[in-house]
Amino acid sequence: MTELEAKIRTEAARLLSEGLVDVVVAFRKEDAPLRPQPAFFTNVEDLENLVYNGLCANNLANYLTRFPQETRIGMLVRGCENRSVNALVVEKQHSREKLTLIGIPCTGIIDWRKVVALTGEDILAYEDSAHTLTVRARHQTFALPRQELLHSSCLRCVHPNPLSADILLGEMLPEGDPALIRERVESFEALTRAERTAYFKQEAERCIRCYACREACPMCYCEECFVDHNTPRWTESGTTPAGTHAWHIIRAFHQTGRCTSCGACERACPMDIQMTYLTDKLGKDMWDSYQFAAGMDDQTQPPFASFTLDDKKHFQVGGKQS
Amino acid sequence: MPTNPSPRNPYQPTPMRVLRAYYESTDRSLKTLELSFENHADSQAFFKKFNPGQFCQLSVFGKGESPLGVASAAWEGDFVRFTIQRMGSVTKALHDLKPGDPLGMRGPLGNGFPLADWKGKNLVIIGGGCAFSTLYALTKHVQHPQNRPDFGQLVVIYGARSSGLCMYKHDIQSWYQRDDMEVHQAIDVPEETWDHHVGYVPDVVKQIAPSPDNAVAIVCGPPIMTKFTLPALVSLGFPPETIFTSLEKRMKCGIGKCGRCNIGSKYICKDGPVFSLAELNALPADI
Amino acid sequence: MKYILPKHELNALLERWSAEYAVLAPQKAGAYSEFLPFTAPSELCLEEPHNTRYPPKALFFPQSEAILKYKQNLGQLESIEAVPQKRVIFGIRPCDAKAVTLLDTVFAEGDNQDPFWLARRAETLLIGLGCNEPGATCFCTSTESGPFHTDGLDALLTDLGGEYLIELLSERAVGLFGGLTPANPTQQESVQNLQQAAEQALPKAFELDGLKDKLDRVFDQDVWAQLSESCLGCGICTFLCPTCFCFDLVDEAQRDTRVRNWDTCMFRVYSLEASAHNPRPTRKERTRQRLMHKYSYWWEHAGKLGCTGCGRCVRYCPVGLDIRAMLRKASAYESEALHAN
Ligand SMILES: Cc1cc2nc3c(=O)[nH]c(=O)nc-3n(C[C@H](O)[C@H](O)[C@H](O)COP(=O)(O)OP(=O)(O)OC[C@H]3O[C@@H](n4cnc5c(N)ncnc54)[C@H](O)[C@@H]3O)c2cc1C
Ligand code: SF4
Ligand code: SF4
Ligand code: SF4
Ligand code: SF4
Ligand code: FES
Repeated sequence: MTELEAKIRTEAARLLSEGLVDVVVAFRKEDAPLRPQPAFFTNVEDLENLVYNGLCANNLANYLTRFPQETRIGMLVRGCENRSVNALVVEKQHSREKLTLIGIPCTGIIDWRKVVALTGEDILAYEDSAHTLTVRARHQTFALPRQELLHSSCLRCVHPNPLSADILLGEMLPEGDPALIRERVESFEALTRAERTAYFKQEAERCIRCYACREACPMCYCEECFVDHNTPRWTESGTTPAGTHAWHIIRAFHQTGRCTSCGACERACPMDIQMTYLTDKLGKDMWDSYQFAAGMDDQTQPPFASFTLDDKKHFQVGGKQS
Repeated sequence: MPTNPSPRNPYQPTPMRVLRAYYESTDRSLKTLELSFENHADSQAFFKKFNPGQFCQLSVFGKGESPLGVASAAWEGDFVRFTIQRMGSVTKALHDLKPGDPLGMRGPLGNGFPLADWKGKNLVIIGGGCAFSTLYALTKHVQHPQNRPDFGQLVVIYGARSSGLCMYKHDIQSWYQRDDMEVHQAIDVPEETWDHHVGYVPDVVKQIAPSPDNAVAIVCGPPIMTKFTLPALVSLGFPPETIFTSLEKRMKCGIGKCGRCNIGSKYICKDGPVFSLAELNALPADI
Repeated sequence: MKYILPKHELNALLERWSAEYAVLAPQKAGAYSEFLPFTAPSELCLEEPHNTRYPPKALFFPQSEAILKYKQNLGQLESIEAVPQKRVIFGIRPCDAKAVTLLDTVFAEGDNQDPFWLARRAETLLIGLGCNEPGATCFCTSTESGPFHTDGLDALLTDLGGEYLIELLSERAVGLFGGLTPANPTQQESVQNLQQAAEQALPKAFELDGLKDKLDRVFDQDVWAQLSESCLGCGICTFLCPTCFCFDLVDEAQRDTRVRNWDTCMFRVYSLEASAHNPRPTRKERTRQRLMHKYSYWWEHAGKLGCTGCGRCVRYCPVGLDIRAMLRKASAYESEALHAN
């Protein structure tokens, strides 16, 4: 057990035993190699199964909407999770008073696929430390530089620190460089239309429409998703190009000003599909047009959800030009 | 490896045409369609297999399919009747059809009522809402002079929320004149001109208290009605083997392939939709 | 009879087959492998320790497929012919080949056989590749299969390093391979050792004996809520599963076609009725359906287990849910909680 893990367990135990929360949402020891599971802890004894390390890959804020509004939730939050929680609080999915956020400055999530590509699947044990992931496989032990294993969205993370945690565990980290996320979008913008189309098609058309991206996304909490709606039907069903294109374009648009760029969708995808370039592009537009970034606080409405009388409406034909 | 080279496509509907279309209820939520066959061979194939209690998948091309219970008996003529409650996209499209319009049909599907096992028995038929449609088919079947001697007494109890929602009105009215059956109709709340029963079907059943002697009871209705009627019959002394009901589940293929309509290991489309209470009691609670 | 194929002769063989058959083999597709038309030996992924990510069931039962054409207003129907194709599927793993035979019980037996499945099945040969080093998520030996099982295969290859040992299992395969050198006793023995070692390397994932009854007994118990707590309700474990067969039928009005798409019991809308009633309202009931279908209902339908232990659902579940552990937990729950009171 790492020091951080011990601290989390202690905090979680305190919150539960003092009756401050009804449940602690964190991670549980894995059954399958390298895959700690999101878990809901309701009693102190069970906390011996709580784990925390770089392989904890899910955005736990996703589970916020599973609980009734009155449930008092203790939740482990890294930078992106904290921002997702904020965005959900803005959208009134849970009241902030009912939440106790246990914040952890995040050194980045390790992509298990990158690990097994190097070690093979037969993993007996592993240890995650500041700079190295040590993996004991059946035939060999590997010491892998952590930085090379990080998930791509973590490599361009700007805000690794939890912004509004109630309890902070671990040392605050330096902020990331905003240029990283901008550069990726700008290099995409610089492509020709044909190149952009080709890239989009190559990603979208591998999609098997399992909707793991949607289900892993904290902001995709609609009771009825547009793809499931049948009167009228908005998109073609199935995995035809028309169907997969529509799915990805419309899902991205529904995230405008809401996506916190956590990358949970990409980590969940069974087909390695990368679509955060679309949501990041929309995020950049939101910043450039409205100086708004999703989840930076739990008060500010996203521009597309708010209404002001002096809206410039420059999206409208004949709207005021800024 | 099985090597049946090219069986017919079981998802291919038979071409049908709307013969008659009329509303059953004053609020226009229920509409009856009577369909004729485009090809005589399809008609022959249909009636060779058809048994009351079965259903078909009706296709509106461009909209999709909906499973619907057959509401007519074979002797009524060379057509198939359905009564359709307007719910979502397909049922709306079915409501929009006019006489002469084409549509598709797959069926008959499912097991239907086990009529052979019911020979010589008294039948207590209990229906509520639009699910009465297959019971109407059953009653029509039994009423035919050729079939009537196969069964003992015939009691029909039919409830609807209001008189405006009562289906097959004229025909059912004529049943009161028959001396080979007993009819009871009920609505949920009193209305000025209504001179039959008032109350929920399970209560009406208790009040009428049909005898379980040499009888089978067949119950089709909304889930809540079925839920309370089944125990009412049990307390009247009907053993679970003599109580039958028809189940509904979301369906697609209708032939036990697409997986979705199961309760435990039974596919409602193929092994049902008609089950005895004894069979239901043996299934897991997945309803 | 067992034969030897030197690895350097594989390419010529695949090319020879290509003249008469469509040859499909696991080939590189981005970071993973997928059954694709054979192009070049350098593209083959035969050394991976496990099966392809996307299941080869799709070669017989594509994820989206037109099953009917019509003219909307005229009500005219046009059948879609299911045309048999001569195909060789090369390098399929034993778990996936067995899964094809399991799906035969759904699509190719009894009433209403599926013409599309039958057509694709009729003239397709399955040439299997055994697994020398089964992966950590594989558990075929716990599910009545194994790394060198031959169910559904026309031939089985075992990788001996420089060459493959080939076991011919059907008349069709004899014709396909033609003149091969018989394996010598040493080669036969090393294959036997290798196969045994692979089988033994796989630990028992759970006790299959009596598992069905145990699951039946916990059907209405709370254990399912515990097991499904973190489940996302996505389509991964069922879409990637080589034995899942659920489908939806949808009209694509703008193309005048009715299509069949894979569907899954893990989706909320799968069982949602028009009245808004849903018999499986939460992930608890849906997870229960998935596990019960494979480990209980399949026995009743086909007298067989509906899981071949291919490990995909374990490997790709985005929240790390492991069907082996889920079954162990359900089973333990039955022994402890249920028998305690
Ligand atoms: C065996 C059986 C017999 C039935 N008999 C009748 C009848 O005689 N009269 C009648 O009015 N209704 C009947 N129903 C219910 C009827 O099938 C549904 O109301 C209808 O399918 C709703 O389809 P929709 O497209 O209008 O609704 P939507 O909500 O748009 O449904 C979309 C799709 O979901 C499926 N679906 C949704 N709800 C149901 C459901 N309850 N049952 C089956 N599939 C569903 C259908 O495939 C439909 O295409 C029966 C259902 C079953 C299973
Ligand atoms: S998770 Fe991947 S495959 Fe699944 S729907 Fe999303 S993009 Fe498509
Ligand atoms: S893959 Fe995992 S998260 Fe997705 S439905 Fe299956 S068990 Fe649930
Ligand atoms: S249930 Fe899982 S292990 Fe079993 S066959 Fe399906 S994907 Fe493979
Ligand atoms: S019911 Fe679920 S587990 Fe069974 S075949 Fe369908 S998707 Fe797979
Ligand atoms: S409707 Fe497809 S299996 Fe019952």
